[in-house]
Amino acid sequence: MGLPVLWLAAGAIDAALAGSNGLSATMLPTALRETALLMAWVGAITSVLGLVSAWLVTHYSFPLRRLFEWALILPLAVPTYLAAYTYVEFLDFTGPIQQAVRALTGAATLRDYWFPNIRTNTGAAIVLSLVLYPYVYVACRAFFLMQSASLNIAARTLGASGLRTFFSITLPLSRPAIVVGATLAMMEVVNDLGAVQYFGVNSLTAIIYSTWINRGNFGGAAQLAVTIVLIIGVLILAEQWARRNRVYLSSRDSRVPPVREALRGARAWGAFGFCALLLVAGFGIPFGQLTYSALRTLRPEAVALTISAGVPTIMLGCVGGLLTVAIGLFAARQSNGPGGPVPRGAIRLATLGYAIPGTVLALGLLQPLGLADLWINRATMAAFDWRPGLILSGSMIALCYVYAIRFLAVSHSTLDAAMRKRGRSMLDAGSVLGASRWRLLWRIDLPTLSPAILSAATLVFVEIVKELPATLLLRPLGIDTLATVVFARANVSLFAEAALPALAIVLIGLIPVVLATRPGIGRKV
Amino acid sequence: MKATLLASLLVGTTLFTAVPAFAQSGEVNIYSYREQALLQPLLDGFAEETGIRANVLYAGDGLLERLEAEGELSPADVVLTVDIGNLVGAEERGLTQPITTDALERVPAAFRDSDGAWTALSLRARVFYVSKDRVDAETLTYADLATEEWDGRICTRPGDHVYNIGLIAQRIAATGLEETREWLTAVRDNLAFAPTGNDRGQVKSILDGTCDLAIVNTYYMGAMLNNEAEPEQKDWANAARIVYPDAEGEGTQVNVAGGFIAAHAPNAANANALIEYLLSDEAQQIYADTNYEYPVVPSVSPAELTLSWGTLNASQIPLEEVAAHRAEAAQLVDELRFNEGPQD
Repeated sequence: MGLPVLWLAAGAIDAALAGSNGLSATMLPTALRETALLMAWVGAITSVLGLVSAWLVTHYSFPLRRLFEWALILPLAVPTYLAAYTYVEFLDFTGPIQQAVRALTGAATLRDYWFPNIRTNTGAAIVLSLVLYPYVYVACRAFFLMQSASLNIAARTLGASGLRTFFSITLPLSRPAIVVGATLAMMEVVNDLGAVQYFGVNSLTAIIYSTWINRGNFGGAAQLAVTIVLIIGVLILAEQWARRNRVYLSSRDSRVPPVREALRGARAWGAFGFCALLLVAGFGIPFGQLTYSALRTLRPEAVALTISAGVPTIMLGCVGGLLTVAIGLFAARQSNGPGGPVPRGAIRLATLGYAIPGTVLALGLLQPLGLADLWINRATMAAFDWRPGLILSGSMIALCYVYAIRFLAVSHSTLDAAMRKRGRSMLDAGSVLGASRWRLLWRIDLPTLSPAILSAATLVFVEIVKELPATLLLRPLGIDTLATVVFARANVSLFAEAALPALAIVLIGLIPVVLATRPGIGRKV
Repeated sequence: MKATLLASLLVGTTLFTAVPAFAQSGEVNIYSYREQALLQPLLDGFAEETGIRANVLYAGDGLLERLEAEGELSPADVVLTVDIGNLVGAEERGLTQPITTDALERVPAAFRDSDGAWTALSLRARVFYVSKDRVDAETLTYADLATEEWDGRICTRPGDHVYNIGLIAQRIAATGLEETREWLTAVRDNLAFAPTGNDRGQVKSILDGTCDLAIVNTYYMGAMLNNEAEPEQKDWANAARIVYPDAEGEGTQVNVAGGFIAAHAPNAANANALIEYLLSDEAQQIYADTNYEYPVVPSVSPAELTLSWGTLNASQIPLEEVAAHRAEAAQLVDELRFNEGPQD
């Protein structure tokens, strides 16, 4: 993880010394403002949506509550760029809503009626929030289920209304959970490339991309990238501060299970309506629009495209997933063991890679990987008179490296949690009986952790399938994944042609959601 | 379908090996930014004529960055890309070697590098798509965009996209930096909305009534009119007609799709043979008919559909000269905060 960041820092300083920082001066204020605005909006909207929906499904019972309880995480299956593409299709002039408006009013063009333009910063914030609120929802719901109901009961006994209880007890107490969820949502915003480009938002990531790719200005892009890494650092500090509080809260054991108040009449339908709207907006519309577009453009070419991009996608997901889980397992054994060769601080640092945008990683890796290839080839040429070619930058090794950096946190946290739950007694027994480290791994860790390994691998697999920016920039030339195919088509207004591959991404994204609903939700965060 | 499946499985098995070091004679390796639908017929023709087999890696954004990182290990012989910025950028980064084929002479001097580092293979004009219903003008100039008449009526993709950088750089070459600054400021303030989306999207804005004049490349008209996968794009195209700006004066700005031979090409001779073929009458006709671009070889005629939009009188300012102003153009876009839309 250090390599790309250090390379970028060097590139940024190099560019500053060369005096070519005119770019940062002109573009940085805009980029910072637009990014901050987008993050603030997404943070605020996801917090409200996630908190209210989690509060409703844990504190009240109303029609279809049990369905909503798991279905409300479905939007996680929709990557941000797909949310952008589908919402633009849906709300655009040629989409169903505006068609209906014109049919009802007899209007012919947008000059005859007013319709909000979704391709703005605000539009982007709303659409992104609709698929990112589950981060807050999952965190808050888990928190509410863990939290003792005694405070709420006390408040209600003292005559406080449900709303008053919400504002004076629930809201202040759940602040850490909200911060955790909203931080994750905002990191997705920083990482996003496809959606901001599509909405025309000049966010930092979008500008890094265009500075590097459209203008061939590596130094300028590196300067912006260093800025973004600093911003993320602040976010992480905020998030860890919040987590510290959460540990404190969850450690109390005077637990009274939450009692759900049955809502009736208008209030029941209000709660139902809120959850239903959220679900439709976050999942129903993107999924429906995709299905519609996919069916409308269902031609042999679309199927061929999905297969030719799907095969490498799945292979990448499997290999990258296995690699990331293997590293995660190693790291989790380190942090749960008596102390190994790698200090725990280093592992914590390594898991922060999830916060670095894919665009930034690609920017920081392309050149060093090329150089490494060169050195390897010179060495093999000298030693064996043979050149292996571009074994790092020309193959999927580069991508797997990035995936391991970005998604180590996912595999590590899943395995770490499972190891804590299992405890050390079996391992200690094994050690006492003289088993080697490898034997312990083979005979104890792998069998006892297999469910956790499987779910970690699934989660990483799905993240890889959805990943866009790094895959776009580092994939072996000539290889397309589902995500890059969709991106390329959408960028030339041919999104409908890529609706089938896009639908495949969402369906794959649903796998962990479906799996998670069985043992209970909350693994993702 | 079966073939695709097989092909992708084959691709799959090579995923973790290095880019195959295909350096045998009788082959040529292409890195292409251009899509398969256009390239395949050209490569079929090339194989038939020369017996040389082409291996293509289709790539997207960031092609030059990749080539640069690969350095001397790159298997690429020929790189096919679009936009003068990419061609000149490749030369500046030392990614090219001189093209030696005599066929280069077929290309007018304005559309190739004077040292043979790159050549255009086809031309596209950056023109005005105007609303059939709301615009009457038959002739327009780039300068007209800055006038009061177009206030709130213009749309274009973001200013820092290579196509717009090319246009702005050409304005600088034609009228000077200061005049272009004033012009671009006025155009920015005449925009109907902050620049977003791509060229086709702008034409859609003509259909939906939010924009009367879109700055778009010519060939999209053909691509939309013939889009069978998404037939509604025919409606977008039918809402607009093309006006060639400055057709009667200094000429319309043209950009290029072109190619160069990679500095470390393992098969330089075959690479030259490929460039020679791409400049032949046969190949130029494929460019014209498949993609509705203008052939760069003057003796080859554009497609009938292309001709129906009007006559192209291309600006004769050498592209090398235009490219020299690209950095200034990008600077202007930033400085005027063009992408944030009207500021008056």
